[in-house]
Amino acid sequence: MRIEEKLYTLRYKKDDKSHLKILDGDKCLECEKEYGDPQPCISICPANVYTWQNNKIVIGYENCVECGACRIACPFENILWNYPKYGKGIALRYG
Amino acid sequence: MLEYDIVIVGAGPAGSAAALRASSSGKKVLVLERGPEPGSKNVSGAMVRKDYVTSVFGEGMPFERNVERIKLSLYNKDKPVNIEFSPENLVTTGRLKFDKWLSSVSENAGAMVIPKTTALKVNWDNGIAKSITTDRGEVSAKSFVLAEGVNSLLSMESKIKYDLKPENAVQTVKEVYSVKKEDINSMFNMKNESSGVAWRYIMTDPLVAGFLYTYKDSISVGIGSPINQLVERKIRPEKLLDDFMEKTGISDMVKGYSLREYSAKVIPEAGFPDINVSKSNVYLCGDALGLVDPLTFDGISPAIASGTIAGDAAVSNIDPATYKYELMKSSEISKIAKERKLEAEFMSGDKAKEYIEMVSSIFSDWASGNLFGIRNTMVNNYRNIIPDLMGFAIKMR
Repeated sequence: MRIEEKLYTLRYKKDDKSHLKILDGDKCLECEKEYGDPQPCISICPANVYTWQNNKIVIGYENCVECGACRIACPFENILWNYPKYGKGIALRYG
Repeated sequence: MLEYDIVIVGAGPAGSAAALRASSSGKKVLVLERGPEPGSKNVSGAMVRKDYVTSVFGEGMPFERNVERIKLSLYNKDKPVNIEFSPENLVTTGRLKFDKWLSSVSENAGAMVIPKTTALKVNWDNGIAKSITTDRGEVSAKSFVLAEGVNSLLSMESKIKYDLKPENAVQTVKEVYSVKKEDINSMFNMKNESSGVAWRYIMTDPLVAGFLYTYKDSISVGIGSPINQLVERKIRPEKLLDDFMEKTGISDMVKGYSLREYSAKVIPEAGFPDINVSKSNVYLCGDALGLVDPLTFDGISPAIASGTIAGDAAVSNIDPATYKYELMKSSEISKIAKERKLEAEFMSGDKAKEYIEMVSSIFSDWASGNLFGIRNTMVNNYRNIIPDLMGFAIKMR
């Protein structure tokens, strides 16, 4: 089963603004050189939030399951990781 | 600005224990919860000790099934060695129902719980916390409890602790499958819907800890693996779960049943007693202190234990050294501090792999009547085992 299909099982309310942000795009280039493809944030994310497109990390924050692993895995501490606001984001039924 | 005696961030087991304690002693308590309701952001296996939870929160705890049997499977390559035993007092529980109940007990004791509210920042004045800024405004209090979970953003922003390192954090992913009650009973040979099982797995190369729990009408299955290992080997966590389910035969068991939920959580493997536990009038507890048992992955009991102590600490505004001392006095918590040293030893180098291979080769030799094989395994390993055992014994004192 594809990740996108798995993510369909989650109740979700989309926040207008992304709760995730890359601080410095140059560091992503450096990271790509050092760690190759896929970079740590891409490979640790269980929800396909991060993709590498045109030498940039693109964030699909609406996929995020709010685990926090990308922030910990980033070797450059380059991910600004916040919680979604106003009760938005995922809402688990089993947990 | 709203004013309270104590503001607690997070309505999980730690936050609700702190809220229960503080409101029971007559304080005006506010609990901020970022999810649409308590438990909606929280992930566990989940298995809890019912008698312990009841001792703090009273009767009425919602649970799924009594754990009648625990099976531990050690995998060396493709064949497992299985150990089965019957535990007492363990039950499986779904976090949404469980955490909602914990929170309702704290509300009945007088705490005010506000969901859908994200705490953004602790505001300090001369080293003393004055208020918390949320997405709905600011609330002030005399003291604060940060029960904000493993992603402890406020604690980090307030420079009470640093973020986890990849080698001290385990990435877990979990799936819940909807399975009819009767089907679960027959699959696991259970007499009725109040009886269930907990299966634990350990695999080497890559190192994986897996689990399967039976709920009333669903099965929960998941894996955990250190973040540094996943990153170094470029292993995707969901792929590791798929492989795990394939290898253990769980994918065949759940074939034809629908996936109800997919979730992920980071388990902290570092923290108390090596980090600051509080700063002035702000007290950390639960996952924010890294309090998850490294052997059982139980984070709920130590969350409740530390939350209870944090609630008391916030009421009487004790200093960091006293708070740390109080935490250490709890067996739920001191146990973790001791096990961490052992775990660090076990996880260093190839030790985990060596021991699992040793145990499984002893058992398979035993089963095939190969006593020479057992003797050879023992002889080949004693040079490692004896110093390890002596080291463990000293560290565990």
